[in-house]
Amino acid sequence: MNSAKILIVDDETIMRESLAGWLERDGHQVQSAPSGEAALKKCAQTRFDILLVDIKMEGMSGLEVLRRIKEADPEVAVVMITAYGSIATAIEAMKNGAFDYMLKPFDPHELGVLVEKIIRHQEQARENLYLKEQFKERTRFESMIGQSEPMQKIFSLICDVAPTDATVLILGETGTGKGLAAKAIHSNSPRRDGPYVVVNCGAIPEHLMESELFGHQRGAFTDAKETKKGRLELAHGGTLFLDEIGEIGVRMQIDLLRVLEDRVFYRVGGTQPIEADFRVLAATNRRLEQLIREGKFREDLYYRLNVVSFDMPSLKQRKEDIPLLAEHFLRRYAQETHRSIDKISRDAIDEMMLYDWPGNVRELENAIERAVVVGKERQIMPEDLPILCHEPAAAPRRNTLEEVERAHIHQILTENQWNIARTARILGIDRSTLYNKIKRYQIQKDA
Amino acid sequence: MPCRDLAEELTAAVAGAVQKIFGFATAFGPLLTDLAFAFDAAREQYHSTPILKRLAEDAPEWALKIIALVEVDLFIPILTHVYGEAQLGGKACIVSSYRLNDESWRHNAREKFLQRMIKEAIHELGHTFNLRHCRDHRCIMHYCRSEADVDLKSEELCRYCRILLLDEIKKLTAW
Repeated sequence: MNSAKILIVDDETIMRESLAGWLERDGHQVQSAPSGEAALKKCAQTRFDILLVDIKMEGMSGLEVLRRIKEADPEVAVVMITAYGSIATAIEAMKNGAFDYMLKPFDPHELGVLVEKIIRHQEQARENLYLKEQFKERTRFESMIGQSEPMQKIFSLICDVAPTDATVLILGETGTGKGLAAKAIHSNSPRRDGPYVVVNCGAIPEHLMESELFGHQRGAFTDAKETKKGRLELAHGGTLFLDEIGEIGVRMQIDLLRVLEDRVFYRVGGTQPIEADFRVLAATNRRLEQLIREGKFREDLYYRLNVVSFDMPSLKQRKEDIPLLAEHFLRRYAQETHRSIDKISRDAIDEMMLYDWPGNVRELENAIERAVVVGKERQIMPEDLPILCHEPAAAPRRNTLEEVERAHIHQILTENQWNIARTARILGIDRSTLYNKIKRYQIQKDA
Repeated sequence: MPCRDLAEELTAAVAGAVQKIFGFATAFGPLLTDLAFAFDAAREQYHSTPILKRLAEDAPEWALKIIALVEVDLFIPILTHVYGEAQLGGKACIVSSYRLNDESWRHNAREKFLQRMIKEAIHELGHTFNLRHCRDHRCIMHYCRSEADVDLKSEELCRYCRILLLDEIKKLTAW
């Protein structure tokens, strides 16, 4: 059983002391308050998992404490302590959101069982919330594939770094599998049974980022109808993956740095510090050193994230993996779409090996998905692949990679009448990345 | 204050277990003869916390820790009863035989009772060395919900609790 943070609220010193002593021996972190007023003050400073509140107290009653606590944080479990004479009040408390009530004096076994039940209940609630979030994101996890030397080096690095709790910065071009590498680190780490929470920093608008990461209290802003847990809180006990960290705004960088240093944060509109135990993994396709020079990325945050870092190789750097990857995607999409395509023709493989794959593995995956859908034969033919129409030879020579990328994106956008979804699919990147690139390269529609 | 009929056997067995697990020599004697000050007439039970306080005050200077073995029913105000109590990281602990002596036993009653008392005494003494309850069901620091659970756990500390105990002993001997 995990330990809980427990607050005992009772105006009788002897009751507080004997209960605190008992719970401390069970390994719980226990504090006590002699009145409802003192309890509310403590709750404003610390977030407790369980409150044990005596119903009859001088000053603020136990029922009033329950009401005020539940208003501020509905997830705290409040157990009412009562004497035989006031069972009716205890039942009223249950109707008002108390988790349970206990008659004084308690049977020691029942107390232990109740505390254990609450902890389990809270763990399950946290896990359910996490699973719901995960389902919403529909994040697809799969094993990483590659027999090439660069990928073997990556596997070895992941094996070395996974068992530690070190922060890892994963670098690499779009579509190289940075997310898969992060997931592999989590899956091979001691935190594997904990949650794996992904934050796509490039996809969340800056004004929503704070609430998304830190959560918010009810009433913190106009739309905050309910108290909501942020991704940091959901990642408790597991791993937090900050994808596209280079896209995060400077203000949020300051907040994030503070969390990474102190491991404590506040919900938006909240006053209770929330402790968070999670490992941080981050990824970016941007050159962070360049962003630091431009004053767009904080150097202190960079050093905090860059404890261990590695580069995911581009598909161009590991062309020998193309047939293996293509086979893997073919099997998956043929199965998903119930098409009886089970082979890739020799000519199609050759075409794939000649192509440079600027969108990397994701572009290859999309190309195979398309080929499975449009293919007429039992095997994928060169003409089924969408790569023949935009060969790299068309790009002007002696230009920088960024200029080539800009020109390429512009061309595909124009060819597709600025249909963002279609263009992103062809480029093998997601829509948020495409938006970011349009913004960064200041690409505009032709007049 | 050991139980009358088992006094010698029980104290000797507990002393042996203390020596084996904690590595300290033991001595025994009647430190408190009258517990009336801790008696609660309404509950007809003895409040263990003031007994611990008195034991810690009256303990001879050479004694590092005190274990009291009693046969009266113990309580702390918030709970209906306790098998024992300890000052967490403190000097004194107490164990009662009152609820561990199950008369329904027919076979091996004496040994079973002795085992339970030894386990509870070591468990409470562990608390005075700052050990908390352990989740390992076999560890002697595991909190037992029933007498049957007491019978199931071993007379040993788990590896984790043993390390914590050694850390605590190191701290004590560094003084």
